[in-house]
Amino acid sequence: MILVVASFTFFLVRMMPGNPIEAKYEQLIMSGYTPDQAMSAVRVMYGFIPKQPLFQQFVTYLWQILHLNLGQSISYEGTPVMKIILGAAPWTIILVLTGTLASFVVGVLAGVIAAIRRNKVSGNLITVSGSLLHGIPQFVMGLFLAYVFTTIWAVFPYGAPYDASLTPGFNWPYIGSLAWHAILPVATYALSSYGGWLLTMKSSVISVLGDDFILAAEVRGIKPSIRMRYIAQNAMLPLFTILALSIGFMFGGSIFIEDIFDYPGLGNMLTNAISYKDYPLMSGAFLLITVAIIAANIATDFLYSIVDPRIRR
Amino acid sequence: MNAELQLIDAQTAVQVRGLNVVYETTQGDIPAVQNVNLDIRKGQITGIIGESGSGKSTLVMAMMNAVAKPGRVASGSIEVSGVGDMMKLSTEQQRRARSTELGLVFQAAQNSLNPLRRIGHQVLDLGRSHGVKDLRALLRKAKDLLERLGLDADRVLTAYQHELSGGMRQRVGIMFALVLDAKVVILDEATTALDMLSQASVLQIVRELHEERGLTTILITHDMGVVGDLADRVVVMYAGCIVEEGVTQEVLTSPKHPYTRGLIRAIPRISGDIDKAVPLSGSPPDMNTYKQPGCLFADRCPLAAPECQQSRPPLLEVETGRHVACFRVNDHA
Ligand SMILES: Nc1ncnc2c1ncn2[C@@H]1O[C@H](COP(=O)(O)OP(=O)(O)OP(=O)(O)O)[C@@H](O)[C@H]1O
Ligand SMILES: [Mg+2]
Repeated sequence: MILVVASFTFFLVRMMPGNPIEAKYEQLIMSGYTPDQAMSAVRVMYGFIPKQPLFQQFVTYLWQILHLNLGQSISYEGTPVMKIILGAAPWTIILVLTGTLASFVVGVLAGVIAAIRRNKVSGNLITVSGSLLHGIPQFVMGLFLAYVFTTIWAVFPYGAPYDASLTPGFNWPYIGSLAWHAILPVATYALSSYGGWLLTMKSSVISVLGDDFILAAEVRGIKPSIRMRYIAQNAMLPLFTILALSIGFMFGGSIFIEDIFDYPGLGNMLTNAISYKDYPLMSGAFLLITVAIIAANIATDFLYSIVDPRIRR
Repeated sequence: MNAELQLIDAQTAVQVRGLNVVYETTQGDIPAVQNVNLDIRKGQITGIIGESGSGKSTLVMAMMNAVAKPGRVASGSIEVSGVGDMMKLSTEQQRRARSTELGLVFQAAQNSLNPLRRIGHQVLDLGRSHGVKDLRALLRKAKDLLERLGLDADRVLTAYQHELSGGMRQRVGIMFALVLDAKVVILDEATTALDMLSQASVLQIVRELHEERGLTTILITHDMGVVGDLADRVVVMYAGCIVEEGVTQEVLTSPKHPYTRGLIRAIPRISGDIDKAVPLSGSPPDMNTYKQPGCLFADRCPLAAPECQQSRPPLLEVETGRHVACFRVNDHA
């Protein structure tokens, strides 16, 4: 899978209109480089030599990737792509994970309540809250939150992940400022996925409630708290599968959300890379996102095999 | 009858009065149990027989006040000796009576376990739910029971449900019903997943435990042979009503309700000769049957008289300890 994406980005970059590699090569020649110097400069930048046969270029490129060398960025003159990505990734990962976790916990709990009170007004209100939020696209939610809480009613800061007057480091004002600045983007992730968790959990709980073993637990006089645990455990199973998909989806959403909140994560980096035609950075980012999604899938499978004895070996 | 004024007598373990259970469906309410009055006698094995859909499972679920939605107990009382009226107890009191006073192995016993938890842990959950102090002793009891039921107890207790066969699961279900020393034990087709030999041996063990512990046992089965071998008394149900009740030998050898007679004649093992087996004529009760005012069996009854179409025959004591619901109980050849 990673190989496929690596190959895909390689050929994508090769087929870009105007061939950025040749263009760069020519640009270097014109600015006084000898062909040799130009070639090695380009090689350092993209990870392969443009004048070689395509196949050999491809092999070199893959070889470099294996050594975690993604070439050098164009827009950030000469900075290794890897370094830029590693600088941006934590921001996105923290936002996405916090948002997913928050919405997962709240959505699952609300889903259980909505299922159990499904014939009562309170349960229906919860379900409606889920359906409504579920229907709002991520970027609309982001724009809405940004507009309401930074423009109309300026309670939360806008732009920049922390207060510029503070020194980054392990001190409370700095961490507090980080958290404060992260609230809106995290809330956007959380609110836009909350409805999905809620609705899935609700229907899952309803189906588990009809299972014979829950009736059996009732007939045996199992305590309500333990019975609740039986229900929740079993109802959560299908959600783990969606968790992986959802994390991938959230990474995709970071393109809009980080743009809206001007947050220096992967999404923002990718937007910039696209507007500056920074192909090495782009292909690096694609690769990384793929790797992240695959990692999330593997983690989910692993998690699943822990919680469900039926698929354990 | 007024349940408050009634004192349950010393011979009775469960006294059911005026019980009606309906399932609310889109096609209308199904009266799955109608006007049932029944005394389950202490220390005896009571068999409940009747066609599929006659309300046997619903009746025993109602005895624990655990009828599953969309069903609901419309009226009636269930006095359980030493517990009180299940219909009037608080939810918590009802919960505490389950497993400790009334143990039920219900029909879907094969799926009665949490698939994500080892059997042993579920025994502990049961113990914790009922305030058992010595959980080790409880596990030992579970182990003894499983071994008596012919299972490898250590393996079963550390297993998950999916690692056990259907028959093993049913026996685990029986263990759960007995492990907290319930005095009344209800087995709803608890041995259907077993082969003939295992079934015989499990039922044998049930009978031994019944005698050792002085239990009151209710046995639902479609197997007349089992009823004949094990049950002291038998209850015959048809379309949610009890049509006949009495000492097993008497009911099986001289059935008084035309339905009981038909049921017994339909089974070669009891009547002796396969050539003499006569299937019941007519079709089982449906929604329309329930709506008519007369005897529910009238349409299929060889003895039906005009009065049978007009009103329901009540369950009356025709001899000591023998109840029959039929207008023509004395009219058959
Ligand atoms: N969940 C349900 N929803 C609607 N109707 C139901 C439900 N459960 C049972 N019934 C109806 O109630 C009646 C009695 O069912 P019950 O399960 O008590 O029969 P039974 O005598 O135990 O049959 P079997 O021998 O097949 O187990 C049947 O007419 C059945 O259709
Ligand atoms: Mg049944």
